[in-house]
Amino acid sequence: MPARPARSRALVLAAVVVAVAACFALNRFGAYLVHSVAIAAIGALALNLLTGFCGQISFAQGALVGIGAYTAGNLGNAGWGLGAILAAGLAGAVASLVIGLPALRLRGLYYAIATLAAQFVIEYLFKIAEPITKGFSGLIVKPLVLFGRTLASDQAYAALAVGVLALTWAALARLMRTNVGRAFLVVRENELVAKGMGIDVARTKMWAFVVSGFVTGVSGALLVFTHRLATPEAFELPLSIDQVAMIIVGGQGIWSGSLLGAAFVVLLPEAIQRVGEAFDIAKLLFAMREMAFGLLIILFLMFEPRGLSALLRRLARWVAGAVSRKAPATASPAAASAEPLGPRATLAAPNTRTQSGGST
Amino acid sequence: MFVLQIATAGLATGSVYALIAMGIVLIYKCSGVVNFAQGAYAMIGAYAAYGLGSLGLSPLPAAVGAVVIVAGAGALTELLVLRRMLKAPVVAVMMVTLGILIFFRAVCLAVWGADPIAFRQIFPPGSVQIAGVFITYNYVAAAALSIVLSLGFLAFYRFTPMGLMQRCAADNSRAALAVGIHVSNQVSVAWAVSSGLAALGGVLLATLNGLSLGLSSIGLVAFPVIVLGGLTSLMGSLVAGLLLGVLEAFTDGLLTPALESWFRAHTSIYSVGALQHVVPYLLVGLMLLVRPQGIFGRRGTERV
Repeated sequence: MPARPARSRALVLAAVVVAVAACFALNRFGAYLVHSVAIAAIGALALNLLTGFCGQISFAQGALVGIGAYTAGNLGNAGWGLGAILAAGLAGAVASLVIGLPALRLRGLYYAIATLAAQFVIEYLFKIAEPITKGFSGLIVKPLVLFGRTLASDQAYAALAVGVLALTWAALARLMRTNVGRAFLVVRENELVAKGMGIDVARTKMWAFVVSGFVTGVSGALLVFTHRLATPEAFELPLSIDQVAMIIVGGQGIWSGSLLGAAFVVLLPEAIQRVGEAFDIAKLLFAMREMAFGLLIILFLMFEPRGLSALLRRLARWVAGAVSRKAPATASPAAASAEPLGPRATLAAPNTRTQSGGST
Repeated sequence: MFVLQIATAGLATGSVYALIAMGIVLIYKCSGVVNFAQGAYAMIGAYAAYGLGSLGLSPLPAAVGAVVIVAGAGALTELLVLRRMLKAPVVAVMMVTLGILIFFRAVCLAVWGADPIAFRQIFPPGSVQIAGVFITYNYVAAAALSIVLSLGFLAFYRFTPMGLMQRCAADNSRAALAVGIHVSNQVSVAWAVSSGLAALGGVLLATLNGLSLGLSSIGLVAFPVIVLGGLTSLMGSLVAGLLLGVLEAFTDGLLTPALESWFRAHTSIYSVGALQHVVPYLLVGLMLLVRPQGIFGRRGTERV
């Protein structure tokens, strides 16, 4: 994929700056929604790198978020600032690499079960390692101090989360344009072909685990500083499943899919809860939320495996098509505006196909 | 004596694990689908039995009715969802079954609520005394029933024409098609049989431990069983199920108290929590590193 023209890069940068600044204008609830979505999206980006781009499914995402959270929480209480977040990333990277080691020998299902086993063992350790995690009563965390300033408001954490999200997105997208990134795609499509091309499959997978683990650890750090509390229940299997659901609903192998999926999975229960409170049927609606969640996963995988982002893209194309058909006089400007998108979309097509069909 | 008591309790739960794991193996052999939703069928089975019971059926017919209903639900799932995903990648199919699990859990949550429910006992109360050990009828019946059923199922698979067709479809679906076996229907049958088995396992577990949504997690407990036994071996899941059941019981009864007293003496850790639920996964981690194909499994050749 060719590098973006400088102008569009500047536009993206400006949009991010505006988004970060806008976080301070939100009320508390708005800020809560923004940081919830942004932090979940960072985790989903990491999982998307691993699953969507490198073809390694993982159910241990919750455990990795937890490792990042407990590392950052303890170091933050010891007075670390930015260092705590980076250390959480490192801890996540190391843990992810260890969990990933079986993947060097195992494939598909067996690796999925290995990550499931890791998830259960680690969440158990969270519960019993009381000196570090404070067990069920939870680890209370001091507010984050960044560059001498204490982050106290929800708005500040929302801005931080949005900033880190943008940074992560840019870094991961850049990574995919390197040789390592391209190797990810080949490994996803077919490991034997990758070997035939002279790609070191084991090393490529290890890169994917390390990078994805680092980003996941960072998301755990942001989570713990934002909530100021870490309890083992927060990092159990449902969190892993939520993250997997995010990339399914959003779109595997598409970066914007992580954000769309995270927004969808986080905001859906919030919206349903609002409605439930209004009509006093919260309990039933909670069950409905779960039902919708399960059903959506099934339907997306059956009918639109590339998720919301592919759906939106198709919708945009359809709208553009309808407009140009209705008004032939304005067809040429519409076509001209669609043109810069054209080649990129076709180039992206092989990248955005889901999963390897290699080993069945 | 205490040891013997633990062992029988372990055998009882282990045999139920085996029942559920065999269902997963059956589906995997037949269609290559890894069914994370197996626990959901166990759960619906137990809830359906409870529901039929509250409609006025006596416990035994209610249990049989539940097994039939859930077998139908399993076949329906295959028809509606998985048959349409034949060409989808393995991982996508795996996640679809996860979606099915979430969906069914939510259905039970909506209908019966999140609180645990007292399950009507199928077997008479009381206990037998064997060599000085008291074992309640519950455990005896659960163990006996699921072991007999597992063996019966193995026999069905081995000796009947239907079982032969199942094995054909599992072994080589193209060759099966060539000799005139309707492979898709065989897959539906496999789904019906395995969800029926799971439902029965669910009912038995509910009589042992009570009825709650937590029953659905049995499907995840079954995965260590499958990995240990070998993904393609029905016999393997029977043996591994019993083994893990006993192991869990011993961890709970002997290892946990010993560890806790050591931890309390030497560290500030007071409790080791539900260690018995983690031991199978520790074992699986080791197994996957050492012998991924399991105890009874065969190493498959992978084709491009």
